[in-house]
Amino acid sequence: MLSVFGYLALALAFLLAVFGLMAALFGVILKEPAWIKSARSALLLIFLLVTISLVVLLLLLAGLRFELGYVYSVTSRDMPLYMRLTALWGGQSGSLLFWSWLLAGFSLFFGLRKWRQENDILAWALVVVFFTLGFFLMINVFFESPFERLWQMPDGSRILSLLSPSGAWLLTPADGQGLNPLLRHPGMIWHPPVLYLGFIGFIIPFALAVGSLAVGRRDRRWLEIARPWILITWVFLSLGLVLGMRWAYDVLGWGGYWGWDPVEVAALLPWLSATALLHTQILQERRDSFKRWNYALVVLTFVLVIFGTFITRSGVLSSVHTFAGSSIWLPMLIYTAVLVLVSLGLLVYRWRDLRAEYEPEFGFNKETLVLFTNMVLLSILVICLLGVIYPLLSELLTNTQITVGPAWYKRITGPLFIVLVLLAGVCPLAVWSGTNLLRLKKRVWIVLLLSALVPLLTWLLGEVRNIVVLASLWLVGFSILVMLADYLQQAIAAQRKHGGHIISALWAPVRRNLRRYGGVLVHLGIILMTIGIIGIEGLQQEVQTNLAIGEQVELSGFIFKFESLEHSEDAGRLITEAVLTISRDGKPRGALYPRREIFTNMGLAITHPGLKSNLAEDLYAILIDWQPDSQDQGAFSIYYNPLVSWLWIGAAVLTFGAILAVLPEKPRKTR
Amino acid sequence: MKKPSSAGLKNNRIKFIIGGGLFLVAVILMVISATKATSEFFMTVKEVLEAEDDLQGQNLRVSGAVIGDSIAYDAKTGELRFVIAHIPADKDLVKGDSGLSEVLHQAVNDPNNPRLDVYHRGSPPDMLRDEAQAILTGTLNPEGVFIAEELLLKCPSKYEEALPDPVEH
Repeated sequence: MLSVFGYLALALAFLLAVFGLMAALFGVILKEPAWIKSARSALLLIFLLVTISLVVLLLLLAGLRFELGYVYSVTSRDMPLYMRLTALWGGQSGSLLFWSWLLAGFSLFFGLRKWRQENDILAWALVVVFFTLGFFLMINVFFESPFERLWQMPDGSRILSLLSPSGAWLLTPADGQGLNPLLRHPGMIWHPPVLYLGFIGFIIPFALAVGSLAVGRRDRRWLEIARPWILITWVFLSLGLVLGMRWAYDVLGWGGYWGWDPVEVAALLPWLSATALLHTQILQERRDSFKRWNYALVVLTFVLVIFGTFITRSGVLSSVHTFAGSSIWLPMLIYTAVLVLVSLGLLVYRWRDLRAEYEPEFGFNKETLVLFTNMVLLSILVICLLGVIYPLLSELLTNTQITVGPAWYKRITGPLFIVLVLLAGVCPLAVWSGTNLLRLKKRVWIVLLLSALVPLLTWLLGEVRNIVVLASLWLVGFSILVMLADYLQQAIAAQRKHGGHIISALWAPVRRNLRRYGGVLVHLGIILMTIGIIGIEGLQQEVQTNLAIGEQVELSGFIFKFESLEHSEDAGRLITEAVLTISRDGKPRGALYPRREIFTNMGLAITHPGLKSNLAEDLYAILIDWQPDSQDQGAFSIYYNPLVSWLWIGAAVLTFGAILAVLPEKPRKTR
Repeated sequence: MKKPSSAGLKNNRIKFIIGGGLFLVAVILMVISATKATSEFFMTVKEVLEAEDDLQGQNLRVSGAVIGDSIAYDAKTGELRFVIAHIPADKDLVKGDSGLSEVLHQAVNDPNNPRLDVYHRGSPPDMLRDEAQAILTGTLNPEGVFIAEELLLKCPSKYEEALPDPVEH
């Protein structure tokens, strides 16, 4: 009966969302604050109800109530408690409920903020929020309910239904199918929810943009309210993507982190448009220009979020992420169509009101660089979109499906990403407006020469001969040095002006301008991540070999010796673990423990790579172990992945920077 | 902030348009060259066998059902061989999971179904097994063996939608 209770809470939440939508609409059309107030209160109730429903599902998952179709499909008795709970997002209907819960949470947070003079924007934004909330709750209630139970019909068939069909009896399987082994990894605890946060958060900027357009305001108030939402959501999205990379690196076991899978690409799309938005919103803030552009980017970002969810959930594309074919594609399509038509319709309707007051001057200034950054980001976006829909497109046009793979993406986007790093590097050299004024003046040559040491040393010491890698490393070194030089210049100036201790002088520019240095740190994070990417894309080395116990293999100066192979059994899994000791120049360097786990009840095996990581390089081994009967033989893939750690370090720096940038500042003098 | 004269404004715009235009042309050229070099024809096993001679050297992507008994991996040389059976193209498939697993099952068990030999240098993926759907990327060699560079595998029926056998009630 618990499941019926959970379902009823959800259904009630849906009804309240419909009520809230009506109330908000009445409120804005009839200009009745009472209706708006009542809609805002509904947000609290909706959140409570969805929370109840979520808790019920968690209880059912934890309690292994296999009579529920969802619980049956994602849990089993051999799963530890934390994994049963995280199975909430292991399947379609559960993850959609989780999605709605997060959405309700965001909406509540938004509804609770103090409403001052921008009441009008917020009221319309509320309509958009309720529309979205209502839509997803409708999906939960009518299309993808996780609360359906398994029933045995009198004619022998089995069906899924919430309530007992006449003459049917409840089925309670003794054990569930269990979560897909690939998802049984601690990385999977964090990747989906963080990514979801990075998706859903964009509802608020989007709602505010539509609200502002609906009211017909010409100012940038909506953007000021939206800015922290955009930034925080962007950080979650970035982290979600990085956690996905980490999971792929740790679990999928092909030595890589990003496979240009359509769903990965679909999650990258809103990141690209949101990054573009983060840059042009500064232009609107400072120059009151790019108003239309920012509206368009907000709409684009949110539509891409929905598109991302849509292609993950609908089974349109084949990918490791796609859940089973599903019935929700039609409502998703209708919802997206309404969003696009209404928001773009409003933008066109208000087009003339949103004329820019200022036009940037062409030249080496921040405006031009920001614009160029936008162009590069959006080019990558269009290319990725093209890659995702290319199979469908080519089939329509030529009747043969033509697909593009990782090689295609890398070839086109690689140079563009390098251009982005260059832009991030030279940006601190440029000033606002004006032309051709280098902040560092002649000193830029010193920086250029100093940074040439990076590729030079790599060439000499690391014996790297790949020109593209060396050039990229030079660029990275240059970008980092420019940031450092610019920062030191500010710190020295601060000390000259105010005196004081050198430490406090180092902190002074940051404290006075958190936003700016937060931004610098975010850029630094991206550049550090680039180092990791250069390492794995350009310098990875691999050997595939078959070893008997006691035999060894050499890769990049490291000797890997196969010491032993151990078999064990644990909670439905047969585990085979190999021990490879590492040495270099005769000195021991630890060991790798690659593992294979066979899930006996599913007949599925997964590989856990052995990994040893430091700032300079990762040593990464996979046990292939194709013939389990050979007790003292093991087949291995061993990878030498230089610099990968910087990918994760960069992500941490990026997060820290974004937190700085979003912290409230002391009020600045207005320009 | 002083406003530039209208002539200056026009000049300025032209600079932006030329700069942006050049960039876009460069991007489009990159897309075209990459597409020529790396795009793959997505075909069924039947289509590949019918057009075998025309497809030499062309990047292909083939989808088929894995025949479990044919999987052979030589750990010494790191060579993997298996056979896939023809399944209809995605667009013609019955939507939904049970449909796909049924199609895969029939494809494997029908001896008259066209089959394609596959060769891959590398380890067998975890999900390579009987009645899995394999999506292979690679080229066809003159002997008609598909040299797969990349293997993507899907086992549809396992996790979702499949209702359990009755155990107790």
